[in-house]
Amino acid sequence: MELSELWAIFGPGVAGAVFGAGWWFWVDAVVCSSVNVPFLHYLPGIFATIAALMFNCVRREDIDYTPYDDGEWRLKLWLFFAYVVSFVSLAASVGLLIQDSIVKSGPSVWTGTAGVLQCVFVLISGLIYWTSHPE
Amino acid sequence: MMADLLGYLRNCLQTRKLAVLAILVSGGIVLQILACALYNNWWPMLSVIIYVLLPMPLMFLAGSDGYSLLSESDNGWVTATKFLTGASAIGSIAVPAILKHAGVIGWGALVMELSSYFIFLLAILVYIRMNDDGDDYNFF
Repeated sequence: MELSELWAIFGPGVAGAVFGAGWWFWVDAVVCSSVNVPFLHYLPGIFATIAALMFNCVRREDIDYTPYDDGEWRLKLWLFFAYVVSFVSLAASVGLLIQDSIVKSGPSVWTGTAGVLQCVFVLISGLIYWTSHPE
Repeated sequence: MMADLLGYLRNCLQTRKLAVLAILVSGGIVLQILACALYNNWWPMLSVIIYVLLPMPLMFLAGSDGYSLLSESDNGWVTATKFLTGASAIGSIAVPAILKHAGVIGWGALVMELSSYFIFLLAILVYIRMNDDGDDYNFF
């Protein structure tokens, strides 16, 4: 069985596993945190999930790659927003990690690390699902 | 007579696989309950909820064809089923790990939980092998 077949069969399952791993890291951080984790820290993960959902709404064949036609500009705008939201959520989670490591009275470094891992895994899961789901 | 003998051997092999399957499943259940009973701490039963959740997408969304999970499929529901099954599979590993990290259960309970999970996984693989072999023989 060649790689593309294997990818199409097991890709969505792997995507689900990676998505689950990302969110379970965050659950672990919230459960094991000695301080109350403020809602602000939940936001990067939530927005990463929204971004992953957004770019999975676009079917692959719909994207027209010719750069000079009018093309499907709405689709490309939607994808652009999805990318912006995903990168902002990633940057925000890294920023919160740095804040957690500097400010000793807030959530611990593990909370910040788990937030970054959550964003990364959720976005990777969205990518895997996008590349692997057959049409 | 040779055909009879072959048929008998085939049946014997099938029965042995069934016995192995039964042993694996009951071993998994025993380990799961031992993880709670030996330490008098019933928190690990939380992962039973995830075990129950695991086959639900398959039962409700993928219809009667259980092997659509192992084949490429155009149906959007089948890919969603694979996604949810993958997420629940990770959940069964994550819940004991989180319980251990939070200090609610000890190392022994964690090891028993995880080995119970892998035994169940092995049982599912044996079941799939068994059904595949059965189909191949029947095509003759």
